[in-house]
Amino acid sequence: MNNHFDPEKFVQSINRRTFLRNAAYGLGGLALASLLDPGLLRGAQAAVIKKGKWHGIVNPPHFPIRTRRIIHLCMAGGPSHLESFDFKPKLKELDGKPFPESFTKGQQLAQLQGAELKARGPFCEFKKWGKSGQEISTLFPYIGSIADKICIVRSMHTEQINHDPAHAFMNSGSQIKGRPSMGSWLLYGLGAETDSLPGFVVLTSRGKSGLQPISARQWSSGFLASKFQGVLFQSKGNAVHYVGNPDGVCQSTQRQVIDEINRLNGFTAEEHYDPEIATRISQYELAFRMQTSVPELTDFKKEPQNILDLYGIKEPGDGTFASNCLLARRLAERGVRFIQLYHRAWDHHGNLEADFPGAAKDVDQASAALVKDLEQRGLLDDTLVLWGGEFGRTPMGQGSGRDHHINAFSMWLAGGGVKGGLTWGQTDELGYKYIDDAQKMHVHDLHATMLYLCGIDHKRLTYRYQGRDFRLTDVSGEVARGIIA
Amino acid sequence: MFGYPKKAIVLSAISALIFGANAEPLRFNHDIRPILSDNCFRCHGPDKNQRKKGLRLDIREQAIEKKAFVPGKPEDSKLVTHIFSTDPDEIMPPPESNKKLTAEQKEILKRWIAEGAQYEPHWAYIKPVKAPLPAVKNKKWVSNQIDPFILQQLEAKNWTPSPEADKRTLLRRLSLDLTGLPPTLDELNAFLRDNSSHAYEKQVDRLLASPHYGECMAVPWLDVARFSDTVGYHGDQNQRIFPYRDYVINAFNNNKPFDQFTIEQLAGDLLPHPTDEQLVATGFNRLNMMTREGGAQPKEYLAKYGADRVRTVSGAFLGSTMACCECHDHKFDPFKTRDFYSMKAFFADVKQWGVYADYGYTPNPELRGVGNEHPFYPEIEVDSPYLKSRMADFTKRIDTAIADASKKMNKQQKKNFDVWRKWSTDFVKVHTNGWFTPTPSAQYVKKEMNSTPNTNFVIEASGNIQFVGKPGDTEVSLPLSNGLWLSAIRVELVPDKKLAVPTKKKRPTDSSISFTAKLENGTNKTSLDFYHAEADHKKDRFSNGASVIGVKDMWQPDPDLDNELQTAVWVLSKPVHLSTNETLKLDFKENGVAALRISVSPFAATAPMASGANDALAKALRKNDRSNLQTTYYLSTAWDTNTLADVRKWQREVLECRNGRAYTMVTKQMEPMVTHILPRGNWQDDSAPIVEPATPAFLPAPPNPTNRRLTRLDLAQWIVSPDNPLTSRAIMNRMWKQFFGTGISATVEDLGTQGDPPSHPELLDWLAVEFQESGWNIKHMVKLMVMSSTYREASNLRSPMRDEDPNDRLLSAQEPRRLDAEFVRDNALSIAGLINLQVGGPSAFPYQPAGYYANIQFPERDYYPDKDDRQYRRGIYAHWQRTFLQPMLANFDAPSREESVCTRNISNSPQQALTLLNDPTFVECSRVFAQNVLLQKSKTDDGRLDYAFEKALARPIKQNEKHSLLEFLNQQRQNVAEHKDDPDKLMHVGIAPTTSTLDKNELTAWTQVCRVILNMHETITRY
Repeated sequence: MNNHFDPEKFVQSINRRTFLRNAAYGLGGLALASLLDPGLLRGAQAAVIKKGKWHGIVNPPHFPIRTRRIIHLCMAGGPSHLESFDFKPKLKELDGKPFPESFTKGQQLAQLQGAELKARGPFCEFKKWGKSGQEISTLFPYIGSIADKICIVRSMHTEQINHDPAHAFMNSGSQIKGRPSMGSWLLYGLGAETDSLPGFVVLTSRGKSGLQPISARQWSSGFLASKFQGVLFQSKGNAVHYVGNPDGVCQSTQRQVIDEINRLNGFTAEEHYDPEIATRISQYELAFRMQTSVPELTDFKKEPQNILDLYGIKEPGDGTFASNCLLARRLAERGVRFIQLYHRAWDHHGNLEADFPGAAKDVDQASAALVKDLEQRGLLDDTLVLWGGEFGRTPMGQGSGRDHHINAFSMWLAGGGVKGGLTWGQTDELGYKYIDDAQKMHVHDLHATMLYLCGIDHKRLTYRYQGRDFRLTDVSGEVARGIIA
Repeated sequence: MFGYPKKAIVLSAISALIFGANAEPLRFNHDIRPILSDNCFRCHGPDKNQRKKGLRLDIREQAIEKKAFVPGKPEDSKLVTHIFSTDPDEIMPPPESNKKLTAEQKEILKRWIAEGAQYEPHWAYIKPVKAPLPAVKNKKWVSNQIDPFILQQLEAKNWTPSPEADKRTLLRRLSLDLTGLPPTLDELNAFLRDNSSHAYEKQVDRLLASPHYGECMAVPWLDVARFSDTVGYHGDQNQRIFPYRDYVINAFNNNKPFDQFTIEQLAGDLLPHPTDEQLVATGFNRLNMMTREGGAQPKEYLAKYGADRVRTVSGAFLGSTMACCECHDHKFDPFKTRDFYSMKAFFADVKQWGVYADYGYTPNPELRGVGNEHPFYPEIEVDSPYLKSRMADFTKRIDTAIADASKKMNKQQKKNFDVWRKWSTDFVKVHTNGWFTPTPSAQYVKKEMNSTPNTNFVIEASGNIQFVGKPGDTEVSLPLSNGLWLSAIRVELVPDKKLAVPTKKKRPTDSSISFTAKLENGTNKTSLDFYHAEADHKKDRFSNGASVIGVKDMWQPDPDLDNELQTAVWVLSKPVHLSTNETLKLDFKENGVAALRISVSPFAATAPMASGANDALAKALRKNDRSNLQTTYYLSTAWDTNTLADVRKWQREVLECRNGRAYTMVTKQMEPMVTHILPRGNWQDDSAPIVEPATPAFLPAPPNPTNRRLTRLDLAQWIVSPDNPLTSRAIMNRMWKQFFGTGISATVEDLGTQGDPPSHPELLDWLAVEFQESGWNIKHMVKLMVMSSTYREASNLRSPMRDEDPNDRLLSAQEPRRLDAEFVRDNALSIAGLINLQVGGPSAFPYQPAGYYANIQFPERDYYPDKDDRQYRRGIYAHWQRTFLQPMLANFDAPSREESVCTRNISNSPQQALTLLNDPTFVECSRVFAQNVLLQKSKTDDGRLDYAFEKALARPIKQNEKHSLLEFLNQQRQNVAEHKDDPDKLMHVGIAPTTSTLDKNELTAWTQVCRVILNMHETITRY
């Protein structure tokens, strides 16, 4: 990295004295100052950062960029891999019989702790789909129809068995609070492609049953500057907090107010040395751009009926998962780096046979539609779609459902340089634990692979905090090169 | 005391004199340790598991023994060979480490070896001593002991300090720094007029004595203590803890010595005969995040809670990062994994549960019945002065309203009163206790799905209704006669001998009691509404962590009192006067109790259980003693509906004050749990040794001659013992940051080897010792800092310092600093004149975008912004929801307080611009500010702008600003005239009323001007 231009170091060299200060003297002010005074920055270096947006700490990238943006479809609650992407006929045979103790001895269990363990066979049928013949449950016919475009990973595993810390682990590689989430890391590393929308956007939808809460810490930038944090778009009211003008104030007045604020701030800057003022001025400009671009973004009027039908959207903008998938595509088109959609209905401790198909129906069509729609627009090549939960479910039954499970679960990836029609990794005959270490996929491995696709060496994307260089992948993580096309 | 050579201290004191000079010998702590720590210690440092080739470079003897270098001979030193090598197999640090030494760093290391490779212990681990005050040339500039340390370094560079800031800037700075509030115009003018030599000091003393000083100082401590209103994990339920916040505010206001403050928070419960205050303080230990997620393992979460406490204590008091040691020895500092778990063991006696709910997989008799709505035990109930005074305030309003109404009775009203009095006098002659029990009838209410009646009744002469059979919905009818005032309904649960030995399934008190009521007269039906109900015995019910007030919607009798009479009284919102004979019908839902008796009364009291009559009332009625009858009269009749409506509203407020009492989470001691070292932090692995409470081994240990098990009290006393080199430094460094913008060591959260070497080490040490010697006197230290000439410098960084010291580490100027989130809010509310300056009390609910809590579950949450003066409470009182922090606070970098944090980011983001432009709080502030600008005495545009600027920024408006704003104002007038903006909408943002005397178009134009002023960078910055 030392051989390359590094904007953060550059700022520090301008300051001549290195001092740990992440946000206060941000790039924005400097970049703006450079517009006012081109002499401040010279030559090629000025060209690199002449616009107001953040251009990333990894610049140029460590590897060729395959993925420019990521859409993470997060099935919050932990979908059962045994009813979706990991068919276990042997488990079906064992249905209702005691679960072999050889599998479970000394293992961590959640609510099943101390209970009598019985095998629960998958209640649904599986089918081989497409040319690749990937096995997917018949509850996901639309995803089945894109089987040749997706890479199913059956060897996922994680370290946290409860929702809250497991989400934290999936997002930040740690269950400890205050660590940046993957979207923040990516934005910090690769920079933003838009300066009129946030670079990391989060959308949520409820679903019907098995609901799980989700915390704003899941998209926190942790110790990274807060400009890298995810922005939750609301399904009600303004999509972004405070993005609408006050009641009764028209857009031209708002513009005049901002102009006047900036003019007065300019006066202060002339008399008082305070680099923050220049940054403040640029942030008001950015705020105004957001005030214009967010309503345009969330206005679905121009989306034709056939596109709405493709996603299965009944009421555009109704906050359903389907509507959010379309919004995700619109965000991707506008240069948002990381888009995360939560569907909060996958915690099936009970009533699995009724609720799981319901949740599947909620997401199946729209998930597949998003992949198809990105493809027909030529965006799938450099957009990575990631589908899955924070963990899986036990092959042992829990009443009429399944408990949390961390030793094996399934996810799928599409686009962004990932091989389609591939099944990566496998689990034992009962779907309890991944086997074959060569194709394992720990959460850290997934992160390393995602960063690799984005052109980043996960070991070299670091940030110094409390005296330590932190990474998204902590101290491990291996790139799963086998899934890369 | 530490076995460290005294030389090190002297050496560092001397070297401060030669700061910046190149010819002087290199100093290990200043020049060498940062390079080694950053690049080498990871593999050649304290962590034995990571150590490569058995070489450690952090201990001189071992490095020499392993032949890493030969002091004085760089050419014979392997270290030099390796760092200058170009061979990828030989070069250090190795390429895969992603570390690289600069050419300058390589030369420095080489020179250091040539100079003899001397080591120093890390500065923060040596006991601080006061160095003599440095000699300086410009003695006139020195106000107190702080200044020579600053001036010495400036003079070494031939720099001068900045001139003193002007009085307006000074007072605004001081007010914002000490109270988080801007000066009022009166305060400003008083200071400007005061030409005495102690004018500034008087202001310092005034502000230090302000009750808002404590609020301002509490904010950073609440970050450190991770204070919040919710538990943080999963369902993020509410916890009851606000008295702890009040404790912190009071502690600063009363200048509680910091050692006592520390001891009370960590171990107040272990003090002899602890006071309520000392117990409230122990809420500190309970502020870790907690869970009641189904499936969570108690043991795992107890491990998480314990680890959180170690991180909190090490950060809050020691300025150290022990977090790493949960899994491995610290890679850079001498903290070991054992130290982490030994520290955790101090808290093994804190009573708590890993998972705060009653789950089948983890049965716990103490948590029976605990679900999502319950509080997080253990708690105590304490007085809340805020609630007490609020209750007194509303009680007074009620009494005054009734007395006033009574005084102002007209002829008709007096006649009504007489009618009531005569009727009542007759009534109490028959029913001496004021209650009347009609003979009831009862019938089972058929449910659609279930056609066979399964409840039967036995009606007794006493009015008792015995329920026989299975519980079912029941309608009870009570005949009432014409003339009666129906004000209160009493339900008595009658102990029934026949059911005295309850079966398992059915006990007399097995069921909760809830009913709806109506009056029926033929087809005429009036449903009755209740204001409140109370019972003499009940089982507590909870809603989102709070006790449900009263039993209006449901009464759960005390199940432990099967054989006693239990009574509850419902008071009608509006008493009803019966003009004909009517039937009172009560529909009981799923009634499962054994026997009930129902009575009615015409006499309602403020406390429901006091309804009915007594001798005093009977006497007052007989004697027509109006002053003793008026309260009963107004509460029991509905003839004066206006007064009654006011009274009911305020009565509800009184109820919400919960008798001036509040619950708060505390530390309760229990038998300590066993604490194992957890290999790599794995809570399931019990294979490693058990540890006892102990302080980090490399620091001096607390005295323990009898070798007993150490307690939290020992830990607290050790933290504030004079032998502890870290605490006073850590606290002073953070305090310095508060008043000067940057810590003396910039990494206030990490004074370890990876932290920033202090810019003025001798000053930090001097402050640390002074702090201890003053008896840990916070106000003394604050005063020292703000009285210094350094603090009073102007904040306009000059050249060449802008280039040579852009971060102003040498303090050649004060540092402009954006206000912290809470104070951005307080400042705007103060300028607008909206702020509510009451101190203490439960959290308040500022405006928040609708649906913000949509993603919270267990239970689902809704948010109701305050609709009275609580809307304008200071930011420190905002409801702190860990998973979804109030967006205004979050946008201005307030931390979620899921973890203890010693320092906040100060960002500058578009979200901040959007907040100040569009958040209803700031729009409302702008329009109310505009109203005040238009209502003050100057009626010219010029005069109004002068006023507005002085009010907002404590300074006169400048010509260019005035010129620009006047043009803007006229543009806005035109916009309104052209109907571009809608005054009616804008004037209704927020709940504050608009002044009807003002022209709304003009008000709109000025509102835009005030929006501009409140959005200015200067407004949210303290210069």
